[in-house]
Amino acid sequence: MFIRSDGQEAIGCLPMTHHPVSEGRLCHRGWNRFQNLRSFNRLSLPLVREGTDLKEVTWPEALQKTTEKISELLSRYGTQSVGVIGSPWLTNEDNYRIARFSREILGTHHVDGSYRFSGASALTALSRLFSGSFGSLGSIPAIAQTPSILVIGKESCRDFSPVGSRLIKAFLRGSAVILADPLCTRKEHFFNYLLPHPIQSLAAAFKDKESLPPEVSAHLFQPGLALIFLADQVDSASSLVSLLQAVWPRSPTENHLPFILPLSRSPNLKGAWDMGIQPGEGGLTLHEMLEEESQVKGILIFGDDLLNHLLTSSLLVKFKNLEFVLVADRFFTETTRMAHCVLPIPLLAETQGTMTNSEGRVQTLRPFLGPQKESRSVADILYGLSQRLGKDFPVFSEPEVRKEISRSISPYSEVASESDLEEVGGILLPAPTAQLPWEPSEALEQAPEQNRYRLLVPNTLYAWNRNQMIHESPVLKIEYPSDRLTVRMNPLDAKELKLRMGEKIKIRSDRGQTQAPVEVDDNIPSKVLMLPSHFVEAVEGLAGKAVRDVTTRTVFFPNLSVTVEKI
Amino acid sequence: MERVVLHKSNLKPWVDRIHRGFHVFVPSRVRGEIFFLPQAGPLESDLLSGIATLPYLPPKDIVFPQSETLFSFTRDAGDIAFSVPERASRKRLILGIRSCDTVGLHWLDHFYLTNFLDFYYHDRRDNLTLVSIACNQPMKNCFCICCEGGPFLDPEKAAFDIQLVDLDEHYLVECNSEKGKRLVDLDRNLFSLPDPAMVEARDQLEEKSRTLFLQEPTSYMSAAIRRITSNSVPPEVWTELGERCFDDGGCTFVCPCCSCFGVGYSSKGETGCHYRFWDSCDYSGFTREVSGHNPRAEKGERFKRRFFHKLSYQYIKRDGRIGCVGCGRCITACPGEVGMPAVVERLRRG
Repeated sequence: MFIRSDGQEAIGCLPMTHHPVSEGRLCHRGWNRFQNLRSFNRLSLPLVREGTDLKEVTWPEALQKTTEKISELLSRYGTQSVGVIGSPWLTNEDNYRIARFSREILGTHHVDGSYRFSGASALTALSRLFSGSFGSLGSIPAIAQTPSILVIGKESCRDFSPVGSRLIKAFLRGSAVILADPLCTRKEHFFNYLLPHPIQSLAAAFKDKESLPPEVSAHLFQPGLALIFLADQVDSASSLVSLLQAVWPRSPTENHLPFILPLSRSPNLKGAWDMGIQPGEGGLTLHEMLEEESQVKGILIFGDDLLNHLLTSSLLVKFKNLEFVLVADRFFTETTRMAHCVLPIPLLAETQGTMTNSEGRVQTLRPFLGPQKESRSVADILYGLSQRLGKDFPVFSEPEVRKEISRSISPYSEVASESDLEEVGGILLPAPTAQLPWEPSEALEQAPEQNRYRLLVPNTLYAWNRNQMIHESPVLKIEYPSDRLTVRMNPLDAKELKLRMGEKIKIRSDRGQTQAPVEVDDNIPSKVLMLPSHFVEAVEGLAGKAVRDVTTRTVFFPNLSVTVEKI
Repeated sequence: MERVVLHKSNLKPWVDRIHRGFHVFVPSRVRGEIFFLPQAGPLESDLLSGIATLPYLPPKDIVFPQSETLFSFTRDAGDIAFSVPERASRKRLILGIRSCDTVGLHWLDHFYLTNFLDFYYHDRRDNLTLVSIACNQPMKNCFCICCEGGPFLDPEKAAFDIQLVDLDEHYLVECNSEKGKRLVDLDRNLFSLPDPAMVEARDQLEEKSRTLFLQEPTSYMSAAIRRITSNSVPPEVWTELGERCFDDGGCTFVCPCCSCFGVGYSSKGETGCHYRFWDSCDYSGFTREVSGHNPRAEKGERFKRRFFHKLSYQYIKRDGRIGCVGCGRCITACPGEVGMPAVVERLRRG
């Protein structure tokens, strides 16, 4: 994509028509991508907390203050008292540096990404199945040639134009395109079939093949099937593993690798994960760092508005009680407002480096503008902190870091080739070669009892929708309006309960209860309710404690069987 | 219309001469993509030939940027000072604009300069000279001939200053305005008078080009216009087409005729600005009201509205022509494969 400038600031953007993935097509976020580059909400100077206020300071002062606080934590509580959070909104090189800095300079094992509650489960499942970093499991252009495609969630099409475009091409060529979406009553004509199941119960539905329409069965369970889903919405690793087992009953071999496309709305989810933004041996996940009994007393956050990602109120309480929070970010956010020290870093459009997209394609960013205001690169910050901590952290250029990455992360062995990276479309990582047996795993979700409603608690990507790319763009802010607390319900169910839009209902599950107004929605099937997971108070009231996913070492709220009554 | 001949070897000296008075935008490649950019290196001759190689972004961006500051303000001790961006002092010239894009600019002129004069647009447009090149070889998505958007410009119907007709070693230079004549007057020595054979060759080339551009009918405009005007397109057709629209807005952004914009506001402390940006009728937020009600919440409804505006007779009567020039960019931009020709063909079928 090109960002266009009038010589002073960004005025527009344009996709490349000969790019192998986009072919000149973007989603609405892409076409308006330039707008946050001109935001007035940019952080311009380092800030340090004084009482309740954040005060502007010079870079040496901010780095000194941060170093003092880190040193204090390390000496008082030990090396494992500091956690570090990387981000899918940073380049591979910066994430690699952050992972290395955490382990070599701070000596902490507690490194994780802001994606622990949205994305990590899918990546954990795939990493386990393919024995580590899994390269590319299928390319977006190849979707068009796939004979059958299972798409989980409509957003996989609408919000990812290059993917949606290939789905339509495949449909027009005669491929079978199957949509699984529990929050959908009408499928678009280019989906041949609609399965009304959430990802958690798809595996169970597929195991009982008799219950599936025969034409759907004929297309599933084939080696040529492509599976497309939003990694951000996979709540537990076991639900994905059990789905993969159900769809591909045989273990993958080199000749029959499953075609899997785990999409993400963050630009570098896979890259950050591959670069080591995940806990090391004995390290804690983000969720574990913020548990009440955790030994972590301070957190360094790079490149994300972490508060938007926290799923339960207890995590927020712990976060507020941390002795030290450093945030290196681009904009004023809720997280920066709670930080003890804030360091401005450049936007991606001002940064050199590479990113790895959902299909495992590594591409280069070319800075459109020089660093603005007083921002400093993540590399500079890490170097400055290391120096003040009396340690030696190498100042590597981006190509030098890529050389290191190519030596230490196996699917990335080609990224040291600058000429290949220069090509439009960059480098597609190789497919995995590991042939592991599928691990046994059971689907979690049971069918709801009769006369009860199934309450879906999806991650509607609130965190993503509130990110600064959206927040700083007037068009996208209108396109993604803030949610109001409502429970969505089918019109016929509302009629049966004599409910009108906005009237309150009481919802009861075996674990608790809550009250919320109703929003009537044609897209919601009968006997299904939808409450987005980011309405933490309402969800916790109803679901009680979040469920722990032992594989991903995080929590999520499962779908519930509930009763409903009008208040 | 005055006609003169420019040998292609004289193009560079002529452009060098033009540079003294103008900021010259020429088609230029950046990483394989073509843009109209201020000339910074040698002219790319293949982009100035009769082959209809279009930049993906139409030159409307030069007069109507994707975003621009309308005014800025600063408050100082209670007084608020406003400032409007200064008008570019240097005149601008686009060399190598194609017929379709020239007609597109003419359409924008109608929108921004009649009824209400938009002075941001007016300042840029008034300062702009257009030297177009007539197309004689279509690219795969071209259907300008179905929309009266090319391949040659009609002096009666489009506001251009000069049209260059590619006659192998020469350009036939057709001046359509005083501005155009003044460009030739910059150095009359570079030009010669056309002989009758050359004029005849030009007419034959236009005739041949029209045939080439109509080789495969890509559009059934008149049938679609009839159906859309008489509201005889069944609602399920709009629903079907709307389902293929991903609300990405790409088709509107690369359309030479789309003129809709939204206004944003940004401030920090005592300073701020209002600015406008390209908006799209594809977007659900385009018509959503403050209450949350959206009269065109359904994609099919938005899709219908877009094509109603482009093709219905009510708008043709108001705007003087259909809102499409046949450049084919929407075919490239649309992930749902429902660019203008596909829609028109679907509407014709009913």
